[in-house]
Amino acid sequence: MKKKFPVFSLLILMIIVIGCFGCGLFLTKDPRYMDLAHFDTAPNKEFLFGTDSMGRDIFSMIWYGGRISLLIGFLATLLSTFLAVLVGSAAGYAPAWADGILMRATELILSVPSLLLTIFLQAAAGKANRYSLAVVIGLTSWMGMAKVVRTEILQLKNTEYVLAAKCLGGGFFHLLWRHLVPGLVPSILFMVVMNVKNAMAAEATLSFMGLGLPVEEISWGSMLSLSENAFLTHAWWSVLIPGLFLVGTIFCLTNLGNYMRKSINKRHSNL
Amino acid sequence: MKSRYIIRIVYSVVKFALSVIVLSVLVFTISRLAPGDPLYAYYGERVEKMSMEEQEQAREKLGLGESIPTQYVRWFQGAIHGDFGISYKYKMDVKEVIAERIGNTFFLGGLGFALIFALSLFIGLFCAWREDKIADRVICGIGTLTSCIPEFWMSLLLILVFAVWLKWLPSSGAYSVGKERSLTDRTAHLILPLIVVVLGHLWYYAFQVRNRLLEEVREDYVLLARMKGLSGKRVLCRHCLRNVLPSYFSMMAIAFPHILGGTYVVETVFSYPGIGTLAYESARYQDYNLLMLVSLLTGTLVIFCNILAQWINACIDPRIGAGRESRQGEVGSL
Amino acid sequence: MPDLLEVKDLSVSFYRPEGELQALKNVSFSLHAGEILAIMGETGCGKSVLCKSILKLLPDMAKIKTGQIYFKGEEISAYSEKQMQRLRGSAFSMVFQNPMTALNPCMNVGMQISEAVRQRQPELSRRGRQERVEELIELVGLDHPGERRRQYPCHFSGGMAQRCVIAIALAAKPEILFADEPTTSLDVTVQAQILELLLKLREKTGMTVVFVTHNPGVAARVADRVALMREGKLYRIAEVEEFFEESIHNQNCI
Repeated sequence: MKKKFPVFSLLILMIIVIGCFGCGLFLTKDPRYMDLAHFDTAPNKEFLFGTDSMGRDIFSMIWYGGRISLLIGFLATLLSTFLAVLVGSAAGYAPAWADGILMRATELILSVPSLLLTIFLQAAAGKANRYSLAVVIGLTSWMGMAKVVRTEILQLKNTEYVLAAKCLGGGFFHLLWRHLVPGLVPSILFMVVMNVKNAMAAEATLSFMGLGLPVEEISWGSMLSLSENAFLTHAWWSVLIPGLFLVGTIFCLTNLGNYMRKSINKRHSNL
Repeated sequence: MKSRYIIRIVYSVVKFALSVIVLSVLVFTISRLAPGDPLYAYYGERVEKMSMEEQEQAREKLGLGESIPTQYVRWFQGAIHGDFGISYKYKMDVKEVIAERIGNTFFLGGLGFALIFALSLFIGLFCAWREDKIADRVICGIGTLTSCIPEFWMSLLLILVFAVWLKWLPSSGAYSVGKERSLTDRTAHLILPLIVVVLGHLWYYAFQVRNRLLEEVREDYVLLARMKGLSGKRVLCRHCLRNVLPSYFSMMAIAFPHILGGTYVVETVFSYPGIGTLAYESARYQDYNLLMLVSLLTGTLVIFCNILAQWINACIDPRIGAGRESRQGEVGSL
Repeated sequence: MPDLLEVKDLSVSFYRPEGELQALKNVSFSLHAGEILAIMGETGCGKSVLCKSILKLLPDMAKIKTGQIYFKGEEISAYSEKQMQRLRGSAFSMVFQNPMTALNPCMNVGMQISEAVRQRQPELSRRGRQERVEELIELVGLDHPGERRRQYPCHFSGGMAQRCVIAIALAAKPEILFADEPTTSLDVTVQAQILELLLKLREKTGMTVVFVTHNPGVAARVADRVALMREGKLYRIAEVEEFFEESIHNQNCI
């Protein structure tokens, strides 16, 4: 039942991340330049992945736009992790009634279809840029992790080794650093990776629906928002290629996340 | 005993009503504080040609001139009498706008929900039965991959393959013009959206069932049941499944609004006339009254399903009745 | 006395990702019809694994490496899962260590017993099954069988739950009852009651009992013969007087 380390996923992920952030070194075309003579060109030697309906080179856009997709995923996760740890640990340490209120509220928000919540907030926030989008996504994705943090803290609070450390005179920060953090980090790590993946998917969905980044701000999501035109012109490459990159990244992240997750099946099956 | 139940019911009803009111206040305030001008929804581009006075008058006419609390009180009074105002965009009663489409959404979402409910139970059972065997691994692999595909892209892919390339199925709408009553035509329009709705949610719930079952399979009572001479399959279906079902039911109660909400994206991509497209439009164009009713409907459903889930948990699981904490993990911890 | 069960040169290994773990090493013994054999040993010496490998209730990663098991002269170590299922509900039965986890918490006790009854006596009608369940509940010394039947394990104390597990085991009318430390997780006073009950039931039904324990006192009290296991090997097997006689001379045996 030992898990294999997902080498392949990590490798692909590294290629994508390095490619996106180091794209200045190998791009030959300006991703924002609209070459109106070559719109909707099928993939060929000059345009490796073809061009979109505005004549932009998809190969350059993929690497260039990936930066924003990854950035939004990262920023949104940073925010949601912060909120989750804040709410979760507050609930874990608070008296029972405050814990009850906090968790009821969290569960209620959790049970609202998250994308609908994001759409609502984003529509309310008005015109999006990469930072507002990250904030909106972050604001709507901390609930699951908050619950995990709370459960973990409650468990740790009641375990005897923490009590023993307290008896030995360990101060608050000692407890936090030596006992709470090591127990907390593995269980959060999985949620963090999942949040990056969900945030990237949310960014793409919002941009696709016209609520996220505008077409001029290149990201994988905004590239896909042009795809409905692509059906008319049969420009399948402008639908497939950005999507494949998106799904590939998400898939690799999921594999990594699953590897980090605490293994539940330590005991053997009785069946 | 009986009075305890009555108290619980009253408590639930009060909780329900309070939550709905709080929700309406929140949505009302946020939507009104948001930037954007609802006049555009009503008058379209003509707003730009209007003078300041005309704009003021229009605002008065739509009841947008007063302070937010006054507006809310007025909206609330109307809502109690069943008057939710008019839609700025469609210029008719919001109830009618919604009534036209709610059937479509419930049909798509309800059918999707039923399929997800049955399939995830079946897949979860099957995978738990063949744990770590090839079949289980293949299914888990496919599931992980499918769950990584955002719904909108899956929709695009399906449209590309089945509507654009193969031309087997229509790519948008709920029916072809002039064929509103044809069942086959409606079914053909339903297939692709339904596939996306089901695939988009199925794996999460199937994996939940599988993981819970795998925990159960490690319990001691499984040995006792096998000792009786029951086959593995029967132990799984009669014993383990029974212990997983309460939490599965409560999970599915919460899943219902989720799946219904999940149809929103799909509706948009397939231009399927449902509540989802309305929610999206009304939020985008500040169609306040419509937005209020759509969010209230969704919110009421969410709150109702949450309370229902708690009830299911309390009623089915004998351990809770005996004053023991349920051993089942929290819903949605995947 | 004829040998009811014979175990020959049995070795069982757990194949874990970390490597092979030998749980049983060349264990051989035979079980006479009608006797009580106590298997003694420290925690983790392979007592439970021995019982479970005879019933083939071991997890997938455990494999019988060498050896055979004969039941009434027939080799059952080569039986398929289907064939074993027929044996388990009728010829063999088992009582487990912890009754609170061995009973399904979400199923009332009557149903759990009646499942076993149905397996053994499929010809019984609903009514007949119900009567048999109530009979079994009374047999293991619980009162009000009509009400008990509808209760869930969480309403029971440890001792009562263990009685239910015994009732389930008896429903099979077994020829061999494996009792895997049936008293370890119970209170001391309850332990005595359960032992008493097992002895009484043996008297009544005349079944053969394999009694696993790590308590020499218990073994001395119930057993006709005693086997001592250590680190997966069967160390010594002898009549009870002989066994403890020698042990007094040879202190480190237990």
